Amino acid sequence: MISLLGRTCILVALTACSVGMVTGMVAGKRQDIDMGKWSRWMAYVCAIATTASIGMMEYALLTHDFSVAYVAEVGSLDTPTWVTIVSLWSSLNGSILLWSWMLGLFLAGFAYLTRNQHQATTSWALGVAMGIGVFFCFLVAGIANPFEAVSPIPTDGPGPNPLLQNHILMVVHPPSLYLGFVGMTIPFAMGCAALLSGRLDGAWLRHMRRWMLVPWGFLSLGIVLGGWWSYEVLGWGGWWAWDPVENASFLPWLTGTAFLHSAMITQRRNKLQGWTVSLIMATFLLTILGTFMTRSGVFNSVHSFTQSSIGPVFLAFLGACLLGSVLLLAARVDKIQPDQATDDGAAPKETSFLLNNLLFTGFMFTVLIGTVYPLLNEAITGKQISVGQPYFDKMTGPIGLAIIFLMGVGPALPWGRVSLRRGFQILAFPLASGIVIVGICLGMKLRGGMALATFGLSGFALAVTLKEMASPILAFHQANGKTWLHSISTVFIQSRRRYGGHIVHIGILCIAVGHVAGTRYTTAHPLTFSAGESKEVGSYTLTFKGTEKQIESHRRSVLANVLVHQNGKELAVVQPRLNHYIKMNQPIGTPQVLSTLTEDLYLNAVNIDEAANVASFDIYIKPLIWWIWFGGGLMLLGSILAFIPSRRGTDGQETVEAA
Amino acid sequence: MNWKVLGAGVVVTVPLLAILASGFGLNPRVESNALEGQAAPNFELETLEGDRVALSELRGKPVVINFWATWCQPCLIEHQALIRSAQRFAPAGVTFLGVLYNDEPAEAVRYLKKKGAAYPTLIDVNGRTAIDYGVAGVPETFFINAEGTIAYKATGPVNDEMVSSILRGMP
Repeated sequence: MISLLGRTCILVALTACSVGMVTGMVAGKRQDIDMGKWSRWMAYVCAIATTASIGMMEYALLTHDFSVAYVAEVGSLDTPTWVTIVSLWSSLNGSILLWSWMLGLFLAGFAYLTRNQHQATTSWALGVAMGIGVFFCFLVAGIANPFEAVSPIPTDGPGPNPLLQNHILMVVHPPSLYLGFVGMTIPFAMGCAALLSGRLDGAWLRHMRRWMLVPWGFLSLGIVLGGWWSYEVLGWGGWWAWDPVENASFLPWLTGTAFLHSAMITQRRNKLQGWTVSLIMATFLLTILGTFMTRSGVFNSVHSFTQSSIGPVFLAFLGACLLGSVLLLAARVDKIQPDQATDDGAAPKETSFLLNNLLFTGFMFTVLIGTVYPLLNEAITGKQISVGQPYFDKMTGPIGLAIIFLMGVGPALPWGRVSLRRGFQILAFPLASGIVIVGICLGMKLRGGMALATFGLSGFALAVTLKEMASPILAFHQANGKTWLHSISTVFIQSRRRYGGHIVHIGILCIAVGHVAGTRYTTAHPLTFSAGESKEVGSYTLTFKGTEKQIESHRRSVLANVLVHQNGKELAVVQPRLNHYIKMNQPIGTPQVLSTLTEDLYLNAVNIDEAANVASFDIYIKPLIWWIWFGGGLMLLGSILAFIPSRRGTDGQETVEAA
Repeated sequence: MNWKVLGAGVVVTVPLLAILASGFGLNPRVESNALEGQAAPNFELETLEGDRVALSELRGKPVVINFWATWCQPCLIEHQALIRSAQRFAPAGVTFLGVLYNDEPAEAVRYLKKKGAAYPTLIDVNGRTAIDYGVAGVPETFFINAEGTIAYKATGPVNDEMVSSILRGMP
C-alpha cells in the first residue's frame, strides 16, 4: 500500500516538474507572466508531493513495513527509534528521495519569494531548476525507487550501516550537507537565467549572492560537522583525510566562496560578469560531480555507498549539465558582458579580490586533480595508485596561507587607488600583530615553518578583521555621542552583511589555526593497560579501572573505564568502547574525547580483553581541536547574518557591502 | 558564440568526463576480491634492513601480508593490532610481512622506530607486488594459507579479533 502511494506521489512530483520546466522556459522566452504563474504553481505541487512521499517513507520505516524495498534494506526491528528515523539517509535510494524532497522545498521557496520580481528572468530560473527536479524525480521513480514492493515480505532487516548508528552527529551532518548541495541548484538556475535572458544587473546579482549564501552556509556547516563526526567516530584521531568524498563536498565550497567574492567586484565595478556566472555554474556542477563520486562506486572511500546501477545515469546527467553549461556560457556570455568595463587601473583592493579568485580556483583544481588522478593513472597505465595525504598537504598548504594573507589585505584596503604609504599605514598594526604572534610561538618553543606561518598570518588577518569591526562603531560613538551599547547595536544592525562576512572570516581563521595545530603538534601514545594500572600521558594520568558490558537491542558493547587525572585533580571517567553489532561481524570502536579550549585527550580502544581485564588504546593529545568546531559555528552564524535582508526594505536599495 | 569560452570549457570538461567514465570498468573493490581462492603471486623483495624474503620459501605455513604506508591514517589504526597479532601467532608459525606502498623506505624506518615493529617490512620496488595483488589503496591485508592460496583479503584496517578469527578459520 505504502509502495503504491509513495510511488504515486513521486510520479505526481515528476509530472509537476516536467510541466513546470516547460512552462517556466516558455514563459521566460515569451516574457509571459501568466505562463510563469503555472511554473510557480507546479513548484508548489512538487513540494507537496515530495513532502508526502517523505512522510510515507518515514511512516514505513517507523512501522517496520518490510514490504517496502528501502525498509527491507536498512530497517531492523532492533534499531532504536532515532536511528530508524535517520536511516532515511543511510543508504543510496533513501538519500536520493531526501534530495528530491529538499529540492522540492527549495523550488517552492524560490517560487514564493520571487513571485513579484523580475518576471521573465525568474521564469527562466524556475524552468531550469525544475528541469533538474525532473532528473531527480526520475531517479526516484525509476532506478533508485525506494518504494519498490518486496515479495515475499521479510520478517526483519539488517539495519543501517553500524558506523552511522554510532553517533548522534549522523542526525545533522548529512542533511546539512544535502541542504548545501541541493540548494546550489537555485543559484545555478539563476545564473543560467541571466545568460538566457541576457540580463545580469546589480539587483539580480544581489539575489544570486543571497541565494548562494544559504546553501553555502549549510555546506560549510556540513563539512565541519562531517569532520567532527569522523573525529568522534572513526577513531583515527583526525577530522580531515582528503578522502574523495570529503573532497567532493569541499570542491563546490571552494568555487562557491570564489563566487561570493567575485560577485562583489561585479556589483562594485560592473565587470567580470562572465567569470562570476561561470563560478556559480561550476559550483552546482561540482555538487553533481561530488554526488557522482559518492554514489557511483567509482571511488573507493569509507563514505561511499555500495555500487549501484545509478552511476552511469548520473554520469550522463553530469555530462549533459557540463556540456550544456559550457555551450550556454559560450553562446550567451557576450550578451551579459558590458562592452567596456570601467577601468581605473590596478586598484589594490580589486587586485586582492582577483588574486583571491585565482587562489580559490587553483585550490579547486588542485583538489580535483588529486581526487581524479588515481582514476586517470589507472586508465592510462593500468596501475592503481593512491595520491594520499602528502600530495594534498604539500600542494594546498601554500595556497591556504596565501588565502589567509589576502583575508587580511582585502578587507583592510579601501576601494580605488591607494598610495603605497597609505597602504603601509593601514597594514602596519596588523602586520606587527602577526609578527608578535610568531614571536610568542617561538618563545613557546613551537617549531615548523608552515605552522608558524599559519599562526602569524592568521593573527595578521584577525587583527584586520577586528579593526574593521571596531572602527565603524568607534566612529559612530564619537560622532553621535551615544552609549557604547547603542553604538554597537546600531552599527551592527545597519551593516549586518558586512559583519556577517567578518564573522565568517574569523570562523575560517579559527579552523585554520585549529587544523594546523591539531595536525602538526599532536602526540600519539599507543598504550596497553592491565586492570588498576596507571600511566602518564602528557600532563594526564590515566588509570584503567576495568571493563563494563552494555547490552542494547541492536548491539553489545564492551566499555573500558578510564579515570583521568590532570595535575592531581580528577577530571573525568571516560569510556571508550567497542561495539559489536548483532548483524555485523566486526566490532566498531567509539573513541572518547575529553575536550578543553586548549587541547583534546583522545582515547580510542583498540582491543578490550574482558577475560584478562587488559585493554589497549591509541591515545592522542591534540591541541586546539575545539577551535575547528567553534569556527564552523561562527561560519554558520556569519552566513545567516549576511543572508538576512536589510530592514531598509527592497533589495534595490541595499548598499553593496564588502566582507 | 564566444569560441574562447567554448574551447576552454571543452578542454576542462571533456577529459574529466572521459576519466570518470573509464572508472566504471575498474571498480577496485569488486575486482580484487576475485583473488580469494587463487594462488598468491610470488615475490622476492628486500626488507628495510636489507634481507631478502621470497614468498615461495614460506610455503607450508600461513603468511599474512599487509600493504601499508606512513602517510596512511587507517594504517596507523591497525598498526598495534598487527604487532600484537604477529606476536600472538608467531608460536603457531604464522609469518607476518609488511609491504611498503608508495612511500620512502627512510620514512618507514623512522615511523617504525617510533610506533614499534614486530615483523619485517618489504620494499616494493616500482610497486610491482602491489600491482600483482591488485592493491587499490592502503591498508589491504592478505591472508595466505599453508598451501600458498589467498584465503582472505581485508580492505581497510584490521583488528585483533578479525586477524585471529581469520587465521583460526583458515585451512
